[in-house]
Amino acid sequence: MAADLLYEIGVEEIPANAVLPALAQLEAFVGEGLDRLRLGYGQIATYGTPRRLAIVVKDVDDCQEDVVEEIKGPPAHAAFDAQGNPAQAAAGFARSRGVELSDLEVRTVDEGEWVFARVSRPGQPATEVLPQLLKQATEQLSFPKTMWWAEVGFRFARPLRWLVALLGEQLLDLEIAGVRATQTTRGHRVLGTDSIEVDHPGRYMDLLEANGVVADHRRRREMIVQQATELAATRGGRPRIDPDVLTEVNFLVEYPTCVIGSFDAEYLQLPHEVIVTVLQGHQKAFAVENEQGNLAPNFIAVTNADSAAADTVCSGWEKVIVPRLDDVQFYYEQDMGQPLAERREALKRVTFMEKLGTLYDQSERLVKLTSWLAEYLDEVSDSEAQTARRAAELAKCDQVTMMVRDGKLGEVLQGVIGGYYARDSGESQAVATAISEQYLPAQPGDSIPTTPAGRMLSLADKMDHLAACFRLGEIPRGSADPYALRRRATGVIEIVRQTGYHFPLSAFIQQSLESLPVPPDDSSLVPTSQAASRLQDLFAERLQAVWEQGGVDYDICRAVLATDWDDIAEANARGQLLAQLRNSQPELFIRLVTAAERPARIARSENIPEAAEVDTSLFEHPMESRLLEEFAGIRDEVETLLEDKPPDWAQVAALLAGLLPVIHQYFEDVMVMIEDEALSRNRLTLLRDIDELFLRLADFLEIVQSSE
Amino acid sequence: MTFQQLIITLNEFWAGQGCHISQPYDVEVGAGTMTPDTFLRSLGPEPWKVAYVQPSRRPTDGRYGENPYRMQRYFQYQVIMKPASADIQDIYLDSLVALGIDLACHDIRFVEDDWEAPTLAAAGVGWEVWLDGMEITQFTYFQQVGGLECQPVPVELTYGPERLAMYLQGVDDYRQLDWSDQIKYGEIRYAEEKQFSDYNFEVADTEMLGELFGRYERETEACLQAHLPLPAYDYVLKCSHTFNLLDARGALSVTERNAMIMRVRRLACRVAEAYVTDREQLGFPLLEE
Repeated sequence: MAADLLYEIGVEEIPANAVLPALAQLEAFVGEGLDRLRLGYGQIATYGTPRRLAIVVKDVDDCQEDVVEEIKGPPAHAAFDAQGNPAQAAAGFARSRGVELSDLEVRTVDEGEWVFARVSRPGQPATEVLPQLLKQATEQLSFPKTMWWAEVGFRFARPLRWLVALLGEQLLDLEIAGVRATQTTRGHRVLGTDSIEVDHPGRYMDLLEANGVVADHRRRREMIVQQATELAATRGGRPRIDPDVLTEVNFLVEYPTCVIGSFDAEYLQLPHEVIVTVLQGHQKAFAVENEQGNLAPNFIAVTNADSAAADTVCSGWEKVIVPRLDDVQFYYEQDMGQPLAERREALKRVTFMEKLGTLYDQSERLVKLTSWLAEYLDEVSDSEAQTARRAAELAKCDQVTMMVRDGKLGEVLQGVIGGYYARDSGESQAVATAISEQYLPAQPGDSIPTTPAGRMLSLADKMDHLAACFRLGEIPRGSADPYALRRRATGVIEIVRQTGYHFPLSAFIQQSLESLPVPPDDSSLVPTSQAASRLQDLFAERLQAVWEQGGVDYDICRAVLATDWDDIAEANARGQLLAQLRNSQPELFIRLVTAAERPARIARSENIPEAAEVDTSLFEHPMESRLLEEFAGIRDEVETLLEDKPPDWAQVAALLAGLLPVIHQYFEDVMVMIEDEALSRNRLTLLRDIDELFLRLADFLEIVQSSE
Repeated sequence: MTFQQLIITLNEFWAGQGCHISQPYDVEVGAGTMTPDTFLRSLGPEPWKVAYVQPSRRPTDGRYGENPYRMQRYFQYQVIMKPASADIQDIYLDSLVALGIDLACHDIRFVEDDWEAPTLAAAGVGWEVWLDGMEITQFTYFQQVGGLECQPVPVELTYGPERLAMYLQGVDDYRQLDWSDQIKYGEIRYAEEKQFSDYNFEVADTEMLGELFGRYERETEACLQAHLPLPAYDYVLKCSHTFNLLDARGALSVTERNAMIMRVRRLACRVAEAYVTDREQLGFPLLEE
């Protein structure tokens, strides 16, 4: 016999972004728990609203499967005497397992003859074992933030107020945080009653729906999109639905009713990003666009009310949104009174970071750092370099505008605002674009700046920030990274990966650190050399994280990072190539690794001076000349290839792998470690040269080969 | 419903819920949370149920009386229920009904908003309550106050009476609010907003304020030395208000600003500890057997 299981955790409004992760955990814990309890079951479904986390499992067995376990006891010789009569050890073992002596049997295992007890455990009724499972699953749920409310010893995202736990029509005996499970759930706060008897799990959804709750979040999502689309169509447009906002509002309502409101079209003169941020950011409303894709003077709010209340609700929303737009309009007009460039003076009064000067100083550093980058980047033209310098001068000017100083807008729109004001102050479009893109990529998944000037400015800004924080000892540890330094380092890597910009990272780090102001008392600062080496470590860690996320194996990351990776773009190309070779040309990959391994191992076992050179007069064996000849030929070809920017790494790899036969033959024929020290060192020197050539690609000793 | 009726109604409602109706505290505070009725009484095991109006001063929010929504001095209607009862959300919604809000005709929402007050080393978990998209109440379960964990957990409800009244009266400017049937909010308070904005932003003597901050800080220390946590707390509040005035005058760099916040915070934490010790010595007199 099987019955459906319903478990509903009733809470005070849980944060919108916490619901989906909690449901996923609940599903996993309950599924694993049922498996562990040997209860068969059918489909699992979860449902979430701001006030409930629910799970429905179809066809749960009403009783656990019986099991017969064989438990190993003492060795036979200890358990039975020579006549085969049970000794003390046998009796003790049987008693401890709750079986009769006659249930013991002797079986031959690897170690010899051993006593086994056959213990049969009849399955328990599901109603006996499920409460514990549900309680544990609930206690295990993890949330970004938890709280106390009453009961000591139990924390949850928000106060837990009711529980429903039913197997078929049977109530499960369960209590958590002083709340006992019943058959009574609650409806929508306003549109339903707060006492709904659920007689059977199959009726759960219908009963809730009759009480103003659409429990299935997937359906609510569809309802929101459909209503928003229909409402926007009544004004000849369509909703601009941001997926994150949609997810958030979906978990702010139990019964979604969209309303469409409007604002004066004159506000559309504001930068559109600002309007969208006002609508989405605090009010979590959708913007509306017209047929041409331009912003319309409307918004769509997703409410938790009955549609009969729509007019009242909508005018309330307009009363909130219009004053906010009005505030922003005020900022905009005030800000426009002064050209952006004139604001540079005011930056002298704003501290950048404790002890490290003002925003004005920072903007000077950005000019310097972008110039430094432009020197290295052949692909950047003089005019692009000039654009970057101008953008760097003005980059931080928006920090002293009213629009950015309004915390909520500034957080999202810094840079973008500066871009608008730059254009309006008569700066070139290229300068404006670079300013507006200076923080990209700010989040994982963001694109990188679109222009060379924007890219250089973004690189400079990120590195300047990293250098400043590392000088101040603000180094990310564990999960603590309050200045988002990992994200900034990842941003640098992403820009380099996507553009292929070549510059020496260590010099860029050095340049950034040295550009920082030195306060009169710098004793509390981290010394520059130490800050530099910690920054290098951060970049190595981020580079590896970025690669691994892109599917590059751990050992390949290590193999590249064990070489000179100062040119990140180049290191990245090598890492990508090796990952690709391993997947698509495994034979070539193995030949490469095999060719590299033995010379590396032997050469590195001895200390060969840097200056040592191969002396052909000390060659004894013809194989030595042959190896040198083939190696020298390939080295010349590789060196030629490496002069190209970017080099053809696939070709380099193929050439190096081509050395395998001669290296193989060499080790067949030639002993390297011999009595005659001069001869031996000469041979080691040749192998060292070979190792060094392979190291241009990777350190293949880091590669872990599977055992086949 | 006039502004004063709204307050009278809330007083009656919360008195009916077993709260005693307290009166505003007479030292300047930035929020109702800072008054001893909330900050100190949230500490320790003793139960506490109180409701009161608290004028709140936020010098930087001044707009010379001209912004329809923002003022440098406004009111908060503050409720503390310690411990929080299990149906506190329902009771709160009933208070809205008492104000004449027909919940069926509106969109009421509890939107995540965790509250934190760095100067008080206080933090809580809760929501802002939205009425048709407008924030009308901050609803918080305190978790920590003055650096001490709250046990039992108090719930704090902070209504914005001006906003609520504007909504109920359908006016778009605080000045147009009917305070009573005879007089408007603006007629009573506009001049004050204008003068204090002038003072806060342009006149306040920053040198004097800087000196006062130091003296108040030392006075807090002296009170703590003398085992007088209640007077000590008054001087913490004075420090905090002096800091707010300096901030409004733009007299603080980011560094100084943070350093001053930390100074007030440390004092608040010490007062919190001293207060709990004092109550403990008195045998926690409000604790029921």
